[in-house]
Amino acid sequence: MIPASLVLFILFGGLAVGCAVAMVTQRNPLYSAISLVGVFVALACLYLTLAAPFIAAVQVIVYAGAIMVLVVFVIMLLNVDEEVRRPLRLQYLIPVGVGLAAVLVAEAAFMLTLGAGTDPTVMPSGPGTGDVGSTTSIGTGLFTEYLLPFEVTSVLILMALVGAITLARRASDAGRLSPEDFAAGPRLATAPAAPGIIQPGHTDITGQAMAEYQIATGEAAAPSPGKPRDEEGL
Amino acid sequence: MVPLNFYLALSAVLFTIGVVGVIIKRNAIQMFMCIELMLNAVNLTFVTFSSYFGDVTGQLFVFIVMTVAAAEAAVGLGIIIAIFRNRESLDVDEASILKL
Repeated sequence: MIPASLVLFILFGGLAVGCAVAMVTQRNPLYSAISLVGVFVALACLYLTLAAPFIAAVQVIVYAGAIMVLVVFVIMLLNVDEEVRRPLRLQYLIPVGVGLAAVLVAEAAFMLTLGAGTDPTVMPSGPGTGDVGSTTSIGTGLFTEYLLPFEVTSVLILMALVGAITLARRASDAGRLSPEDFAAGPRLATAPAAPGIIQPGHTDITGQAMAEYQIATGEAAAPSPGKPRDEEGL
Repeated sequence: MVPLNFYLALSAVLFTIGVVGVIIKRNAIQMFMCIELMLNAVNLTFVTFSSYFGDVTGQLFVFIVMTVAAAEAAVGLGIIIAIFRNRESLDVDEASILKL
């Protein structure tokens, strides 16, 4: 009689491997992405069999939800074509690769036979029954012993956010502000416009009114030098 | 009970499939997805050891690996969009010269 846990392992493990192979062999990126979602869901089920429900939920929410939606969005946005078949470059490297792979497999087999005599009492037989995978234990560990990695992660996310925006922004942004704009401080409408530059609907009267409104509502962070705030406000 | 080695073997197989995908794929997005697969294979190892040895540390690091993967997804897709804008293609063979 095969135990139920082994049946579940074979089921979800086979699903994961099958979806992974499908992902690599697929030439349409969208089908690849959907196969990868299958891998993620199968792995989440495996985490459940390993008594890690919190990680399983996060796996589905973060990986299968957020990250894959982002990937599919980019695939749709860029309208990616299917991969074209092309003749392999560097044909002479194929036998070299086969030889190196054989060496690697031999090494791995050697190492595995070395470990065959391991004391079986060292290796646990099954998943623990404690509350290791519960949300409580994970939260306690995350906010006490591993607080520093947690905080470093938040900095990492901030950097990724800034980096992604910088990378994805269009290089020729017409409305982009130059550093001089920031050095000059908030642009008040009362600042005398350079002669010769006429903007539609931008007269001195409306500019004055706008400045008064901004000062009254506290929007203007710093009034222009030479004009104290009380003079302008009154 | 499922032996520990079964999970480790599954993780190794998934990781190898990811490596093979990164090597043989030419589409940048598909290479990116293979990297995600490799990260997940490592996560499976973490969770397996954490569960079998009754130590929560492994699952905490899975949490952190997931965060790093999310950050990597954001930056990586930003790079992919930038490459596509410059070259109108996601083929990494065409982007093999480090200049525009």
